[in-house]
Amino acid sequence: MLFNSLGFILFLGLVLFLYYTGILSWTNRKRMLLLASYLFYGLWNPPLVILLWISTIVDWTAGNKLAVEKNSGRRKLWLLLSMLTNLGFLAFFKYGNFLLENFTAGVNALGMTYEPQPMDIILPMGISFYTFQTMSYTIDMYYQRIKPARTFLDFALYVTFFPQLVAGPIVRAKDLISQFYDEKKATANQFMWGSFLLTIGLFQKVVLADTLLSGTADAVFGAAKVLNGLDAWIGTLAFSGQIFFDFAGYSTCAIGIALMLGIILPDNFKYPYAAIGFSDLWRRWHISLSTWLRDYLYIPLGGNKNGITRMYVALILTMLLGGLWHGAAWTFVVWGALHGLYLVIERFLRSKVRLKINPINGIFLALLTYACVNITWVFFRAREFETAINMISSMFFINNDGIKLLQYFDIFKVTVVISLLFICHYLMRNSSLKELSLKTPSWLFGVGWAIMLFLIAISQGSGQQFIYFQF
Amino acid sequence: MIIGITGALIGLVAWEIFWRSHDFVPDLDDDDDLWVIHRAAVEEANKDDMVIVGSSRAYFDLQLDKWEEETGRRPIQLAIEGSSPLYAFDDLVNNTDFNGTIVVGVTEGLFFSTLFPEAPPNEKVVNRLKYYEDRTYADRLNYTLSIPLQSSFAFISDVSGVDGIKLKALLDEIQVGQRVPNPMPPFHKFSEVDISRNLRMTTRTATDTAFAGTIKKVWLFFNQAGSQNIPEKEATTNFFVENVKKFKDRGGEVILVRCPSTGVLREHENQVFSRSEFWDPLVEKAEVPAYHFEDYATLSGFDCPEWSHLSAEDADIFTAALVRILIKDGFLSN
Repeated sequence: MLFNSLGFILFLGLVLFLYYTGILSWTNRKRMLLLASYLFYGLWNPPLVILLWISTIVDWTAGNKLAVEKNSGRRKLWLLLSMLTNLGFLAFFKYGNFLLENFTAGVNALGMTYEPQPMDIILPMGISFYTFQTMSYTIDMYYQRIKPARTFLDFALYVTFFPQLVAGPIVRAKDLISQFYDEKKATANQFMWGSFLLTIGLFQKVVLADTLLSGTADAVFGAAKVLNGLDAWIGTLAFSGQIFFDFAGYSTCAIGIALMLGIILPDNFKYPYAAIGFSDLWRRWHISLSTWLRDYLYIPLGGNKNGITRMYVALILTMLLGGLWHGAAWTFVVWGALHGLYLVIERFLRSKVRLKINPINGIFLALLTYACVNITWVFFRAREFETAINMISSMFFINNDGIKLLQYFDIFKVTVVISLLFICHYLMRNSSLKELSLKTPSWLFGVGWAIMLFLIAISQGSGQQFIYFQF
Repeated sequence: MIIGITGALIGLVAWEIFWRSHDFVPDLDDDDDLWVIHRAAVEEANKDDMVIVGSSRAYFDLQLDKWEEETGRRPIQLAIEGSSPLYAFDDLVNNTDFNGTIVVGVTEGLFFSTLFPEAPPNEKVVNRLKYYEDRTYADRLNYTLSIPLQSSFAFISDVSGVDGIKLKALLDEIQVGQRVPNPMPPFHKFSEVDISRNLRMTTRTATDTAFAGTIKKVWLFFNQAGSQNIPEKEATTNFFVENVKKFKDRGGEVILVRCPSTGVLREHENQVFSRSEFWDPLVEKAEVPAYHFEDYATLSGFDCPEWSHLSAEDADIFTAALVRILIKDGFLSN
């Protein structure tokens, strides 16, 4: 179910009614939330709820065993069971065809003719999110960082909590399960702020991503022609805005909806396009994934404790796998590799050059970072390498005879939206929306809210899917 | 929060009044969701049912109310504007057990154009068939909830192009100079659809010749643009005939219908898609009943306001006349 749909408005209204009506005890409210979460997921494809159940049961069992098991060999086996189950789901459902294609290409390259039928596999929505979330529980249990969930209901709700089930934030057990132990009810302020965040999230998705930017990005990346440099840049900038508003919009909606229920989810984005450098970027973009990769991949790979070379290798490997997490295609691997390379170059430069950031060089470095991020977005968005290479060539003005595709107004529209996006991120980079709202007169806050609601309503349409659902 | 909700409501009321004052009325979108409901109905259809596939002429000119009035049964309308019927027919033959009657509207420029699934005449049909396979329970719920809203508010409209009034469509129509030439004339919406996919030409198209002229310009543009494409006559005919044979083998009936066109458009069709080279060989190879408007006095003599489709009133007359011929020939009963 999509947040930007009529069905979800009805669904959320019913959930809030049952949650606040007072007829259900806290345990029954949690049961209701769990059932609602399965319905939320099942309305997309009912049989795939079974995967959620399997993940839940396996990790609940593994977690309980890890809580009492002292034998290190057996502890490893329980962890392995959890990892194999979750990564097995990912490998089969998400990477099955990719692995088969590459196997076929490898075999054919060796001169053997092998043409298997492609596997007709449905990618379960949000599988990368909930498998990573539930794996974090068993890994933390293995390292004895957390205590086991008190009840199966609490754990099942942690795995399935509908606001963040299909596109994050990927929440750690210590941050969410314990919130289910005691009765939760949003205060009036929390409820209002949650509603406001839901509105902002929908505004980002429906108005900014789908209405103002997606058309230009789709036209440029779908052109199948070598483009003029300006068109290539505008299309890429449009996509950079689209993916931010789409994904940050989803996270903001998720945080807002949870808050309306009195549950606090962590921030997932902190004005990433104002990042100065790539370490800063990954502290601001998809924070819940980058911290997951840091804690469960980069640090176990050695992190920065085993010398510079090992650190660079760990960085590159982490980002390569981070790229692959996003999609089963080599273009995503290149996207991850570029980010890994950027991080390595940045660490190297930082060890050689001491630079004090001031407002002037800060904005220059933020713009440079944003420009480099845009290069990576080309590989993220392009479906084939040929498209990506053509786009990059055009962006570096190598294709002088590339065709013009966009009208002046498209260029103007994207330039204005992206410039405002960058300026807002830069001005807000050390602040927060909450702080800003507290400084804003209430009438102005209300007018801004009204304008957003109005624009969402007049932008309505077919309710486009969030980009990150496919991951 | 109160200011936000009140302000948004005031804005929306003003927005609705503004569009109504510009002659926009609440109506349904002729979209994928509406089409798949009717495609799903084929799964329940029986030997006595009729399904219509084709392009916009079969959609405008075959009026379901009139058909039902004459026969007591309402056909399932699956025709799609600007589309070839080949893939819709292929789907009915190969993906359903339906063995009733399929009326196939033939517009030569679309029917014989290409088999390439991603080409414009097939793309919309192929996408809708994919959506039919992929649609979720959430999609169904959303559409059910959207029907009363679409029927109540003029501003809720998913129409694109010059008559689109959602924010994206309004922005897309803004022109500040022209960096890339766009020779396509403005293409206005000139029909209304109901929940049963009964499509009727708007009164304005039938009565306002200047408005109808804007549609004629679009047909002239398509004629010009399509003149470089070579029809895949053999491939499309063979693809269709093979499916006809399969369908007849399981007891189904196929009826070909060529709906009226007039004026410069008909002249162009006669030059590029002459009857003797396209329609007649198709009828001969398919070996099914075929009704060309020029062969029957009661099916011809209409004046299509924009050369390609009948006005709502004429479509009623045409449908009644066609149904009576089909009854007389024993393909329908009343």
